[in-house]
Amino acid sequence: MEKKYTILSVILVILALGLVILPGKNERKEADPKILLGSIVEKSRYLSVDQITHRIIENDPTLLLIDLRPADQFKTFALPGAINIQPDSLLSKSIVDLFTQPGKDKVLYANADLISEQGWLMCTRYSLTRIYIMKGGLNEWYNTIIQTQVVKPTASSTDLDLVSFRNAARMYFTGAGNTPEARPTASTGEKIEVSRKAPAAKSGGGC
Amino acid sequence: MIGPIISSGLVSSAWDNVFAVFLGMGFGFALESSGFSSSRKIIGTFFGYDFVVVKVFFTAAIVASLGLLYLSYMGLVDYSLLYIQPTFITSAIVGGIIMGIGFAMGGFCPGTSVCAAAVGRIDGLVFFGGMFIGVFLFSEAFPLFENMYYSGSLGPKMINSVFGISPELFTFLLVLMAIGMFYGAGWVQGKVKKIDY
Amino acid sequence: MKKNKYDGSFYLNPYLGGVILGTVLLLSFYISGRGLGASGAVKNSVAATVNAIAPTHVEQSAYYSQFAGGDKKPMNNWLVYEVLGALAGAFLSGIIFNRLKLKVEHSPKITSRRRLIFALLGGLIFGFGSQLAKGCTSGAALSGMAVLSLGGYITMIAIFGTAFVAAWIFRKNWI
Repeated sequence: MEKKYTILSVILVILALGLVILPGKNERKEADPKILLGSIVEKSRYLSVDQITHRIIENDPTLLLIDLRPADQFKTFALPGAINIQPDSLLSKSIVDLFTQPGKDKVLYANADLISEQGWLMCTRYSLTRIYIMKGGLNEWYNTIIQTQVVKPTASSTDLDLVSFRNAARMYFTGAGNTPEARPTASTGEKIEVSRKAPAAKSGGGC
Repeated sequence: MIGPIISSGLVSSAWDNVFAVFLGMGFGFALESSGFSSSRKIIGTFFGYDFVVVKVFFTAAIVASLGLLYLSYMGLVDYSLLYIQPTFITSAIVGGIIMGIGFAMGGFCPGTSVCAAAVGRIDGLVFFGGMFIGVFLFSEAFPLFENMYYSGSLGPKMINSVFGISPELFTFLLVLMAIGMFYGAGWVQGKVKKIDY
Repeated sequence: MKKNKYDGSFYLNPYLGGVILGTVLLLSFYISGRGLGASGAVKNSVAATVNAIAPTHVEQSAYYSQFAGGDKKPMNNWLVYEVLGALAGAFLSGIIFNRLKLKVEHSPKITSRRRLIFALLGGLIFGFGSQLAKGCTSGAALSGMAVLSLGGYITMIAIFGTAFVAAWIFRKNWI
Protein backbone atom coordinates (compact mmCIF):
# COMPACT_ATOMS: atom_id res chain seq x y z
CA MET A 1 0.00 0.00 0.00
CA GLU A 2 2.64 2.49 1.12
CA LYS A 3 4.82 1.78 -1.89
CA LYS A 4 1.96 2.47 -4.29
CA TYR A 5 1.38 5.88 -2.75
CA THR A 6 5.08 6.71 -2.84
CA ILE A 7 5.16 5.99 -6.56
CA LEU A 8 2.04 8.09 -7.11
CA SER A 9 3.54 10.97 -5.13
CA VAL A 10 6.72 10.86 -7.19
CA ILE A 11 4.73 10.90 -10.44
CA LEU A 12 2.71 13.86 -9.20
CA VAL A 13 5.83 15.80 -8.19
CA ILE A 14 7.47 15.09 -11.55
CA LEU A 15 4.34 16.30 -13.38
CA ALA A 16 4.25 19.49 -11.33
CA LEU A 17 7.99 20.03 -11.71
CA GLY A 18 7.58 19.56 -15.43
CA LEU A 19 5.39 22.63 -15.57
CA VAL A 20 7.97 24.72 -13.77
CA ILE A 21 10.95 23.71 -15.87
CA LEU A 22 9.25 23.58 -19.26
CA PRO A 23 10.58 26.44 -21.36
CA GLY A 24 8.35 29.50 -21.46
CA LYS A 25 5.69 28.96 -24.01
CA ASN A 26 5.79 30.82 -27.26
CA GLU A 27 2.71 32.95 -26.98
CA ARG A 28 2.33 33.48 -30.70
CA LYS A 29 3.39 31.37 -33.59
CA GLU A 30 5.82 33.12 -35.88
CA ALA A 31 4.83 33.38 -39.51
CA ASP A 32 6.53 31.20 -42.08
CA PRO A 33 9.13 33.31 -43.98
CA LYS A 34 7.54 32.40 -47.31
CA ILE A 35 4.13 33.57 -46.18
CA LEU A 36 5.71 36.68 -44.73
CA LEU A 37 7.44 37.45 -48.02
CA GLY A 38 4.16 36.92 -49.84
CA SER A 39 2.44 39.37 -47.54
CA ILE A 40 5.18 41.94 -48.05
CA VAL A 41 4.92 41.75 -51.82
CA GLU A 42 1.15 41.84 -51.67
CA LYS A 43 -0.04 45.44 -51.43
CA SER A 44 -3.42 44.76 -49.88
CA ARG A 45 -2.18 46.01 -46.52
CA TYR A 46 -2.58 49.62 -47.68
CA LEU A 47 -5.76 51.54 -47.11
CA SER A 48 -6.01 54.99 -48.63
CA VAL A 49 -6.70 58.05 -46.51
CA ASP A 50 -10.02 58.40 -48.31
CA GLN A 51 -11.09 54.90 -47.30
CA ILE A 52 -10.10 55.55 -43.70
CA THR A 53 -11.89 58.91 -43.67
CA HIS A 54 -15.03 57.27 -44.99
CA ARG A 55 -14.94 54.73 -42.22
CA ILE A 56 -14.25 57.31 -39.51
CA ILE A 57 -17.20 59.40 -40.60
CA GLU A 58 -19.45 56.35 -40.77
CA ASN A 59 -18.35 55.36 -37.27
CA ASP A 60 -17.36 51.94 -38.58
CA PRO A 61 -17.25 49.66 -35.51
CA THR A 62 -14.74 47.32 -37.15
CA LEU A 63 -12.16 50.06 -37.48
CA LEU A 64 -9.41 50.27 -34.88
CA LEU A 65 -6.95 53.07 -35.54
CA ILE A 66 -3.54 52.71 -33.98
CA ASP A 67 -1.33 55.76 -33.74
CA LEU A 68 2.35 54.87 -33.63
CA ARG A 69 3.68 58.41 -33.15
CA PRO A 70 5.25 59.72 -29.92
CA ALA A 71 2.78 60.49 -27.14
CA ASP A 72 3.23 64.28 -27.28
CA GLN A 73 2.36 64.38 -30.96
CA PHE A 74 -0.60 62.15 -30.28
CA LYS A 75 -1.81 64.60 -27.62
CA THR A 76 -1.58 67.50 -30.02
CA PHE A 77 -3.58 65.83 -32.73
CA ALA A 78 -4.78 62.36 -33.64
CA LEU A 79 -7.47 60.81 -35.75
CA PRO A 80 -10.75 60.36 -33.86
CA GLY A 81 -10.89 57.15 -31.84
CA ALA A 82 -7.24 56.31 -32.40
CA ILE A 83 -5.22 54.53 -29.73
CA ASN A 84 -1.66 55.59 -29.09
CA ILE A 85 0.82 52.74 -28.93
CA GLN A 86 4.57 53.17 -28.86
CA PRO A 87 6.30 50.94 -31.44
CA ASP A 88 8.59 49.43 -28.77
CA SER A 89 5.63 48.09 -26.77
CA LEU A 90 3.90 46.65 -29.82
CA LEU A 91 4.29 43.05 -28.71
CA SER A 92 3.59 43.39 -25.01
CA LYS A 93 0.84 41.17 -23.65
CA SER A 94 -1.88 43.80 -23.32
CA ILE A 95 -1.22 45.17 -26.78
CA VAL A 96 -1.27 41.74 -28.36
CA ASP A 97 -4.65 41.16 -26.71
CA LEU A 98 -5.81 44.37 -28.33
CA PHE A 99 -4.55 43.20 -31.70
CA THR A 100 -6.21 39.82 -31.44
CA GLN A 101 -9.67 41.27 -30.96
CA PRO A 102 -11.88 39.49 -33.43
CA GLY A 103 -13.74 41.43 -36.08
CA LYS A 104 -11.56 44.53 -36.02
CA ASP A 105 -9.40 45.96 -38.77
CA LYS A 106 -6.30 47.28 -37.10
CA VAL A 107 -5.04 50.27 -39.07
CA LEU A 108 -1.58 51.55 -38.24
CA TYR A 109 -0.49 55.06 -38.98
CA ALA A 110 2.33 57.45 -38.13
CA ASN A 111 3.46 60.69 -39.74
CA ALA A 112 4.71 58.87 -42.81
CA ASP A 113 4.85 55.21 -43.81
CA LEU A 114 8.15 53.99 -42.38
CA ILE A 115 7.12 53.35 -38.78
CA SER A 116 3.77 51.89 -39.83
CA GLU A 117 5.58 49.50 -42.17
CA GLN A 118 7.85 48.36 -39.38
CA GLY A 119 4.91 47.90 -37.03
CA TRP A 120 2.99 46.01 -39.70
CA LEU A 121 5.96 43.71 -40.27
CA MET A 122 6.26 42.94 -36.56
CA CYS A 123 2.57 42.14 -36.24
CA THR A 124 2.42 40.08 -39.41
CA ARG A 125 5.46 38.14 -38.37
CA TYR A 126 3.64 37.21 -35.17
CA SER A 127 0.74 35.88 -37.23
CA LEU A 128 -1.60 38.69 -36.25
CA THR A 129 -4.17 39.23 -38.96
CA ARG A 130 -6.25 42.11 -40.31
CA ILE A 131 -3.40 44.58 -39.83
CA TYR A 132 -3.42 47.48 -42.30
CA ILE A 133 -1.46 50.64 -42.97
CA MET A 134 -2.91 54.02 -43.75
CA LYS A 135 -0.95 54.80 -46.90
CA GLY A 136 1.03 58.00 -46.59
CA GLY A 137 0.34 58.41 -42.90
CA LEU A 138 -0.98 61.49 -41.24
CA ASN A 139 0.89 63.83 -43.59
CA GLU A 140 -0.93 62.38 -46.55
CA TRP A 141 -4.20 62.50 -44.62
CA TYR A 142 -3.66 66.20 -43.87
CA ASN A 143 -2.68 67.03 -47.42
CA THR A 144 -5.57 65.17 -48.93
CA ILE A 145 -8.43 65.80 -46.59
CA ILE A 146 -7.68 69.05 -44.84
CA GLN A 147 -5.84 71.03 -47.50
CA THR A 148 -8.04 72.37 -50.25
CA GLN A 149 -7.34 71.11 -53.69
CA VAL A 150 -7.75 72.92 -56.89
CA VAL A 151 -9.99 71.03 -59.25
CA LYS A 152 -9.16 71.19 -62.86
CA PRO A 153 -12.18 71.92 -65.02
CA THR A 154 -11.26 68.89 -67.11
CA ALA A 155 -11.47 66.46 -64.18
CA SER A 156 -13.57 63.37 -64.58
CA SER A 157 -16.80 62.92 -62.65
CA THR A 158 -15.22 60.37 -60.28
CA ASP A 159 -12.54 62.91 -59.46
CA LEU A 160 -15.21 65.51 -58.86
CA ASP A 161 -17.02 63.12 -56.53
CA LEU A 162 -13.81 62.51 -54.66
CA VAL A 163 -13.18 66.21 -54.24
CA SER A 164 -16.69 66.87 -53.03
CA PHE A 165 -16.31 63.99 -50.57
CA ARG A 166 -13.06 65.49 -49.32
CA ASN A 167 -14.69 68.85 -48.95
CA ALA A 168 -17.46 67.29 -46.90
CA ALA A 169 -14.90 65.42 -44.82
CA ARG A 170 -13.01 68.62 -44.23
CA MET A 171 -16.18 70.18 -42.89
CA TYR A 172 -16.64 67.13 -40.69
CA PHE A 173 -13.18 67.34 -39.18
CA THR A 174 -12.69 71.07 -38.94
CA GLY A 175 -16.19 72.43 -38.86
CA ALA A 176 -14.96 75.05 -41.31
CA GLY A 177 -15.99 75.98 -44.78
CA ASN A 178 -14.29 75.10 -48.02
CA THR A 179 -11.06 76.95 -47.43
CA PRO A 180 -9.66 76.16 -44.05
CA GLU A 181 -6.00 76.62 -43.43
CA ALA A 182 -5.83 75.97 -39.73
CA ARG A 183 -4.87 72.56 -38.42
CA PRO A 184 -7.81 70.72 -36.93
CA THR A 185 -8.41 71.11 -33.24
CA ALA A 186 -6.49 68.89 -30.94
CA SER A 187 -9.45 67.82 -28.88
CA THR A 188 -10.38 65.14 -31.40
CA GLY A 189 -7.52 62.93 -30.29
CA GLU A 190 -9.10 61.37 -27.30
CA LYS A 191 -6.73 59.14 -25.40
CA ILE A 192 -8.24 55.75 -24.96
CA GLU A 193 -7.10 53.46 -22.20
CA VAL A 194 -5.76 50.23 -23.58
CA SER A 195 -7.80 47.67 -21.77
CA ARG A 196 -8.23 43.98 -22.30
CA LYS A 197 -11.47 43.09 -23.90
CA ALA A 198 -13.72 41.10 -21.62
CA PRO A 199 -14.10 37.55 -22.93
CA ALA A 200 -17.26 37.10 -24.91
CA ALA A 201 -18.98 34.53 -22.79
CA LYS A 202 -17.80 34.61 -19.22
CA SER A 203 -20.26 32.78 -17.13
CA GLY A 204 -21.81 34.40 -14.11
CA GLY A 205 -21.43 33.86 -10.37
CA GLY A 206 -19.97 30.64 -9.10
CA CYS A 207 -21.38 27.94 -6.95
CA MET B 1 -10.15 22.08 -30.14
CA ILE B 2 -9.21 25.07 -28.08
CA GLY B 3 -11.22 25.21 -24.90
CA PRO B 4 -13.35 26.34 -23.26
CA ILE B 5 -15.28 25.07 -26.24
CA ILE B 6 -18.52 26.85 -25.31
CA SER B 7 -17.13 30.29 -24.45
CA SER B 8 -14.87 30.35 -27.48
CA GLY B 9 -17.88 29.67 -29.66
CA LEU B 10 -16.72 26.34 -31.12
CA VAL B 11 -19.86 24.61 -29.91
CA SER B 12 -23.22 26.33 -29.79
CA SER B 13 -24.07 27.61 -26.33
CA ALA B 14 -27.33 25.67 -26.53
CA TRP B 15 -25.24 22.61 -25.72
CA ASP B 16 -23.97 24.20 -22.53
CA ASN B 17 -26.89 22.99 -20.43
CA VAL B 18 -26.70 19.50 -21.91
CA PHE B 19 -23.05 19.32 -20.91
CA ALA B 20 -24.06 20.70 -17.51
CA VAL B 21 -26.20 17.64 -16.86
CA PHE B 22 -23.40 15.26 -17.78
CA LEU B 23 -20.77 17.18 -15.83
CA GLY B 24 -23.16 17.24 -12.89
CA MET B 25 -23.52 13.46 -13.14
CA GLY B 26 -19.76 13.10 -13.01
CA PHE B 27 -19.65 15.47 -10.07
CA GLY B 28 -22.34 13.60 -8.15
CA PHE B 29 -20.78 10.24 -8.97
CA ALA B 30 -17.32 11.32 -7.86
CA LEU B 31 -18.59 12.73 -4.57
CA GLU B 32 -20.88 9.84 -3.72
CA SER B 33 -18.46 7.09 -4.65
CA SER B 34 -15.76 8.67 -2.50
CA GLY B 35 -18.11 8.56 0.47
CA PHE B 36 -19.29 12.16 0.59
CA SER B 37 -22.88 11.08 1.10
CA SER B 38 -22.05 10.17 4.68
CA SER B 39 -21.93 13.13 7.04
CA ARG B 40 -20.00 11.18 9.66
CA LYS B 41 -17.37 10.24 7.11
CA ILE B 42 -17.05 13.87 6.01
CA ILE B 43 -16.87 15.24 9.53
CA GLY B 44 -14.23 12.65 10.40
CA THR B 45 -11.65 15.05 8.99
CA PHE B 46 -12.17 17.36 11.93
CA PHE B 47 -11.71 14.63 14.54
CA GLY B 48 -8.94 12.84 12.71
CA TYR B 49 -10.61 9.48 12.17
CA ASP B 50 -11.23 9.82 8.44
CA PHE B 51 -9.45 12.25 6.16
CA VAL B 52 -11.41 11.41 3.03
CA VAL B 53 -12.47 15.05 2.54
CA VAL B 54 -8.91 16.37 2.61
CA LYS B 55 -7.67 13.62 0.32
CA VAL B 56 -10.42 13.93 -2.28
CA PHE B 57 -10.64 17.71 -2.16
CA PHE B 58 -6.94 18.39 -2.56
CA THR B 59 -6.36 15.62 -5.09
CA ALA B 60 -9.15 17.10 -7.20
CA ALA B 61 -7.81 20.65 -6.87
CA ILE B 62 -4.31 19.52 -7.87
CA VAL B 63 -5.50 17.41 -10.80
CA ALA B 64 -7.61 20.28 -12.14
CA SER B 65 -4.93 22.95 -11.61
CA LEU B 66 -2.19 20.84 -13.19
CA GLY B 67 -4.51 19.79 -15.98
CA LEU B 68 -5.52 23.35 -16.80
CA LEU B 69 -1.93 24.57 -16.81
CA TYR B 70 -0.84 21.71 -19.07
CA LEU B 71 -3.78 22.27 -21.42
CA SER B 72 -3.00 25.96 -21.47
CA TYR B 73 0.68 25.21 -22.15
CA MET B 74 -0.25 23.01 -25.07
CA GLY B 75 -2.54 25.74 -26.35
CA LEU B 76 -5.65 23.64 -25.82
CA VAL B 77 -7.26 25.99 -23.34
CA ASP B 78 -7.49 29.76 -23.38
CA TYR B 79 -6.90 30.58 -19.72
CA SER B 80 -8.25 34.11 -20.19
CA LEU B 81 -11.70 32.73 -21.04
CA LEU B 82 -12.02 30.72 -17.84
CA TYR B 83 -14.28 32.02 -15.13
CA ILE B 84 -12.04 33.05 -12.27
CA GLN B 85 -14.07 33.80 -9.19
CA PRO B 86 -13.53 37.49 -8.37
CA THR B 87 -12.01 38.05 -4.96
CA PHE B 88 -13.92 39.99 -2.33
CA ILE B 89 -11.69 39.65 0.72
CA THR B 90 -14.15 40.60 3.47
CA SER B 91 -17.12 38.62 2.25
CA ALA B 92 -14.94 35.61 1.39
CA ILE B 93 -13.60 35.48 4.95
CA VAL B 94 -16.86 36.23 6.76
CA GLY B 95 -18.88 33.99 4.44
CA GLY B 96 -16.28 31.25 4.85
CA ILE B 97 -16.46 31.48 8.65
CA ILE B 98 -20.27 31.26 8.56
CA MET B 99 -20.06 28.29 6.19
CA GLY B 100 -17.53 26.62 8.49
CA ILE B 101 -20.00 26.80 11.39
CA GLY B 102 -22.78 25.44 9.19
CA PHE B 103 -20.44 22.69 8.01
CA ALA B 104 -19.65 21.56 11.56
CA MET B 105 -23.31 21.65 12.59
CA GLY B 106 -24.84 20.04 9.53
CA GLY B 107 -21.99 17.79 8.46
CA PHE B 108 -22.46 18.56 4.78
CA CYS B 109 -21.67 21.16 2.23
CA PRO B 110 -24.20 21.94 -0.50
CA GLY B 111 -22.80 19.53 -3.09
CA THR B 112 -22.47 16.64 -0.70
CA SER B 113 -25.95 17.17 0.75
CA VAL B 114 -27.36 16.75 -2.76
CA CYS B 115 -25.48 13.45 -3.05
CA ALA B 116 -26.63 12.32 0.38
CA ALA B 117 -30.23 13.15 -0.47
CA ALA B 118 -29.89 11.20 -3.73
CA VAL B 119 -28.97 7.99 -1.91
CA GLY B 120 -31.74 8.42 0.66
CA ARG B 121 -30.00 10.15 3.57
CA ILE B 122 -32.79 12.17 5.18
CA ASP B 123 -30.31 14.37 7.04
CA GLY B 124 -28.84 15.33 3.66
CA LEU B 125 -32.27 16.24 2.34
CA VAL B 126 -33.02 18.31 5.43
CA PHE B 127 -29.68 20.10 5.12
CA PHE B 128 -30.48 20.86 1.49
CA GLY B 129 -33.87 22.20 2.54
CA GLY B 130 -32.24 24.31 5.22
CA MET B 131 -30.10 25.94 2.56
CA PHE B 132 -33.19 27.27 0.81
CA ILE B 133 -34.22 29.00 4.04
CA GLY B 134 -30.70 30.36 4.53
CA VAL B 135 -30.51 31.69 0.99
CA PHE B 136 -33.97 33.21 1.34
CA LEU B 137 -33.01 34.92 4.60
CA PHE B 138 -29.84 36.28 3.08
CA SER B 139 -31.67 37.61 0.05
CA GLU B 140 -34.25 39.34 2.21
CA ALA B 141 -31.61 40.77 4.53
CA PHE B 142 -29.35 41.74 1.63
CA PRO B 143 -29.54 45.53 2.22
CA LEU B 144 -27.99 44.94 5.65
CA PHE B 145 -25.05 43.10 4.14
CA GLU B 146 -24.72 44.98 0.89
CA ASN B 147 -21.67 46.95 1.98
CA MET B 148 -19.87 43.87 3.22
CA TYR B 149 -20.93 41.94 0.12
CA TYR B 150 -19.07 44.32 -2.17
CA SER B 151 -16.21 45.38 0.09
CA GLY B 152 -12.59 44.37 -0.35
CA SER B 153 -12.97 43.79 -4.07
CA LEU B 154 -9.76 42.75 -5.82
CA GLY B 155 -11.25 41.47 -9.07
CA PRO B 156 -10.32 38.07 -10.48
CA LYS B 157 -6.99 37.98 -8.70
CA MET B 158 -4.83 34.87 -8.82
CA ILE B 159 -3.13 33.63 -5.70
CA ASN B 160 0.30 33.22 -7.29
CA SER B 161 0.38 36.96 -8.02
CA VAL B 162 0.11 37.62 -4.27
CA PHE B 163 3.40 35.79 -3.74
CA GLY B 164 4.85 37.18 -6.94
CA ILE B 165 5.51 33.76 -8.47
CA SER B 166 4.34 32.05 -11.63
CA PRO B 167 1.17 29.89 -11.62
CA GLU B 168 3.35 26.90 -12.46
CA LEU B 169 5.63 27.40 -9.47
CA PHE B 170 2.66 27.93 -7.18
CA THR B 171 1.07 24.69 -8.37
CA PHE B 172 4.34 22.86 -7.79
CA LEU B 173 4.48 24.14 -4.21
CA LEU B 174 0.81 23.23 -3.79
CA VAL B 175 1.54 19.67 -4.88
CA LEU B 176 4.41 19.39 -2.39
CA MET B 177 2.18 20.78 0.36
CA ALA B 178 -0.68 18.44 -0.49
CA ILE B 179 1.56 15.37 -0.50
CA GLY B 180 2.92 16.42 2.89
CA MET B 181 -0.64 16.81 4.08
CA PHE B 182 -1.66 13.38 2.77
CA TYR B 183 1.19 11.73 4.65
CA GLY B 184 0.37 13.77 7.75
CA ALA B 185 -3.27 12.71 7.49
CA GLY B 186 -2.27 9.07 7.28
CA TRP B 187 -0.07 9.47 10.33
CA VAL B 188 -2.81 11.16 12.39
CA GLN B 189 -5.39 8.62 11.30
CA GLY B 190 -3.14 5.86 12.58
CA LYS B 191 -2.92 7.51 16.01
CA VAL B 192 -6.59 8.36 16.47
CA LYS B 193 -9.07 5.89 17.91
CA LYS B 194 -11.15 4.25 15.19
CA ILE B 195 -14.81 5.19 15.15
CA ASP B 196 -17.54 3.06 13.66
CA TYR B 197 -19.97 4.91 11.49
CA MET C 1 -8.72 -0.14 -4.77
CA LYS C 2 -11.93 -0.60 -2.86
CA LYS C 3 -12.46 -0.60 0.84
CA ASN C 4 -14.91 -3.17 2.06
CA LYS C 5 -17.41 -1.90 4.56
CA TYR C 6 -19.30 -3.94 7.08
CA ASP C 7 -22.67 -3.11 5.53
CA GLY C 8 -21.57 -4.35 2.14
CA SER C 9 -21.15 -0.93 0.54
CA PHE C 10 -17.94 0.21 -1.11
CA TYR C 11 -16.07 3.44 -1.16
CA LEU C 12 -13.60 4.28 -3.84
CA ASN C 13 -10.04 4.92 -2.80
CA PRO C 14 -10.11 8.62 -1.86
CA TYR C 15 -7.24 9.45 -4.22
CA LEU C 16 -9.00 7.73 -7.10
CA GLY C 17 -12.16 9.65 -6.16
CA GLY C 18 -10.14 12.84 -6.12
CA VAL C 19 -8.70 12.14 -9.56
CA ILE C 20 -12.21 11.49 -10.92
CA LEU C 21 -13.53 14.67 -9.30
CA GLY C 22 -10.55 16.65 -10.58
CA THR C 23 -11.03 15.30 -14.09
CA VAL C 24 -14.71 16.23 -14.05
CA LEU C 25 -13.75 19.70 -12.83
CA LEU C 26 -11.13 19.96 -15.57
CA LEU C 27 -13.68 18.90 -18.19
CA SER C 28 -16.10 21.46 -16.81
CA PHE C 29 -13.53 24.19 -17.34
CA TYR C 30 -12.56 22.80 -20.74
CA ILE C 31 -16.14 22.57 -21.97
CA SER C 32 -17.98 25.43 -20.28
CA GLY C 33 -15.14 27.56 -18.98
CA ARG C 34 -16.42 27.42 -15.44
CA GLY C 35 -16.14 25.27 -12.37
CA LEU C 36 -18.67 23.08 -10.63
CA GLY C 37 -21.06 24.41 -8.04
CA ALA C 38 -24.07 23.66 -5.95
CA SER C 39 -25.32 26.60 -3.91
CA GLY C 40 -25.91 28.68 -7.03
CA ALA C 41 -28.70 26.30 -8.01
CA VAL C 42 -30.34 26.88 -4.63
CA LYS C 43 -29.98 30.62 -5.11
CA ASN C 44 -31.67 30.44 -8.51
CA SER C 45 -34.45 28.20 -7.22
CA VAL C 46 -35.18 30.58 -4.36
CA ALA C 47 -35.15 33.54 -6.75
CA ALA C 48 -37.49 31.70 -9.13
CA THR C 49 -39.89 30.81 -6.31
CA VAL C 50 -39.98 34.35 -4.96
CA ASN C 51 -40.37 35.63 -8.51
CA ALA C 52 -43.42 33.40 -9.03
CA ILE C 53 -45.04 34.53 -5.77
CA ALA C 54 -44.08 38.20 -5.61
CA PRO C 55 -42.63 39.49 -8.89
CA THR C 56 -42.66 43.13 -7.80
CA HIS C 57 -40.65 42.23 -4.72
CA VAL C 58 -38.01 40.71 -7.00
CA GLU C 59 -37.86 43.84 -9.14
CA GLN C 60 -37.28 45.99 -6.09
CA SER C 61 -34.77 43.74 -4.36
CA ALA C 62 -31.16 44.64 -5.06
CA TYR C 63 -30.24 40.97 -4.68
CA TYR C 64 -32.92 38.99 -6.53
CA SER C 65 -32.98 41.42 -9.44
CA GLN C 66 -29.43 40.38 -10.32
CA PHE C 67 -30.61 36.99 -11.53
CA ALA C 68 -34.42 36.95 -11.60
CA GLY C 69 -37.26 39.14 -12.72
CA GLY C 70 -37.72 40.76 -16.10
CA ASP C 71 -36.88 38.31 -18.86
CA LYS C 72 -34.25 36.47 -16.85
CA LYS C 73 -34.95 32.78 -16.43
CA PRO C 74 -33.35 31.72 -13.14
CA MET C 75 -34.28 28.05 -13.54
CA ASN C 76 -32.83 27.80 -17.05
CA ASN C 77 -29.37 28.02 -15.60
CA TRP C 78 -26.21 25.99 -16.05
CA LEU C 79 -25.89 25.35 -12.31
CA VAL C 80 -29.48 24.16 -11.99
CA TYR C 81 -28.93 21.56 -14.73
CA GLU C 82 -25.61 20.63 -13.20
CA VAL C 83 -27.14 19.98 -9.77
CA LEU C 84 -29.93 17.90 -11.35
CA GLY C 85 -27.17 15.91 -13.03
CA ALA C 86 -25.38 15.56 -9.70
CA LEU C 87 -28.52 14.07 -8.16
CA ALA C 88 -28.65 11.50 -10.96
CA GLY C 89 -24.91 10.79 -10.76
CA ALA C 90 -25.01 10.26 -7.01
CA PHE C 91 -28.06 8.02 -7.35
CA LEU C 92 -26.20 5.96 -9.94
CA SER C 93 -23.23 5.65 -7.64
CA GLY C 94 -25.58 4.66 -4.83
CA ILE C 95 -26.87 1.79 -6.96
CA ILE C 96 -23.43 0.66 -8.07
CA PHE C 97 -21.88 0.76 -4.61
CA ASN C 98 -24.94 -0.58 -2.84
CA ARG C 99 -25.69 2.44 -0.67
CA LEU C 100 -29.29 3.26 -1.51
CA LYS C 101 -31.13 3.30 1.78
CA LEU C 102 -33.57 5.66 3.39
CA LYS C 103 -32.12 6.58 6.79
CA VAL C 104 -30.95 9.35 9.08
CA GLU C 105 -27.27 8.99 9.70
CA HIS C 106 -26.25 10.06 13.17
CA SER C 107 -23.97 9.28 16.03
CA PRO C 108 -25.40 6.60 18.37
CA LYS C 109 -25.21 9.14 21.19
CA ILE C 110 -27.83 11.46 19.74
CA THR C 111 -31.38 11.03 18.48
CA SER C 112 -32.45 11.31 14.84
CA ARG C 113 -34.51 14.31 15.83
CA ARG C 114 -31.48 16.16 17.16
CA ARG C 115 -29.50 15.21 14.07
CA LEU C 116 -32.22 16.56 11.78
CA ILE C 117 -32.54 19.82 13.71
CA PHE C 118 -28.81 20.35 13.46
CA ALA C 119 -28.83 19.40 9.77
CA LEU C 120 -31.53 22.01 9.15
CA LEU C 121 -29.69 24.68 11.11
CA GLY C 122 -26.40 23.74 9.46
CA GLY C 123 -28.00 23.97 6.03
CA LEU C 124 -29.55 27.32 6.89
CA ILE C 125 -26.26 28.76 8.09
CA PHE C 126 -24.31 27.25 5.21
CA GLY C 127 -26.80 28.63 2.70
CA PHE C 128 -26.55 32.06 4.25
CA GLY C 129 -22.75 32.02 4.24
CA SER C 130 -22.55 30.71 0.68
CA GLN C 131 -24.44 33.76 -0.57
CA LEU C 132 -22.18 36.15 1.29
CA ALA C 133 -19.05 34.45 -0.02
CA LYS C 134 -20.56 34.10 -3.52
CA GLY C 135 -20.10 30.35 -3.56
CA CYS C 136 -19.75 27.25 -1.45
CA THR C 137 -17.10 24.57 -0.97
CA SER C 138 -17.47 23.44 -4.58
CA GLY C 139 -18.24 26.69 -6.38
CA ALA C 140 -15.92 29.04 -4.56
CA ALA C 141 -13.31 26.88 -2.85
CA LEU C 142 -12.77 23.86 -5.15
CA SER C 143 -13.39 25.55 -8.51
CA GLY C 144 -11.57 28.65 -7.31
CA MET C 145 -8.55 26.60 -6.29
CA ALA C 146 -8.45 24.89 -9.68
CA VAL C 147 -7.92 28.24 -11.43
CA LEU C 148 -5.72 29.53 -8.58
CA SER C 149 -8.24 32.20 -7.59
CA LEU C 150 -7.17 34.07 -4.46
CA GLY C 151 -10.79 34.23 -3.29
CA GLY C 152 -11.13 30.46 -3.65
CA TYR C 153 -8.14 29.83 -1.40
CA ILE C 154 -9.31 32.36 1.18
CA THR C 155 -12.79 30.83 1.28
CA MET C 156 -11.34 27.33 1.56
CA ILE C 157 -9.10 28.29 4.48
CA ALA C 158 -11.95 30.16 6.20
CA ILE C 159 -14.36 27.22 5.84
CA PHE C 160 -12.00 24.50 6.98
CA GLY C 161 -10.32 26.62 9.65
CA THR C 162 -13.64 27.51 11.23
CA ALA C 163 -15.03 24.02 10.83
CA PHE C 164 -12.10 22.55 12.78
CA VAL C 165 -12.92 24.80 15.73
CA ALA C 166 -16.69 24.53 15.40
CA ALA C 167 -16.60 20.74 15.03
CA TRP C 168 -14.91 20.58 18.41
CA ILE C 169 -17.73 22.66 19.91
CA PHE C 170 -20.36 20.38 18.38
CA ARG C 171 -18.37 17.17 18.94
CA LYS C 172 -21.16 15.60 21.02
CA ASN C 173 -23.19 15.41 17.81
CA TRP C 174 -20.56 13.41 15.99
CA ILE C 175 -18.38 11.22 18.19
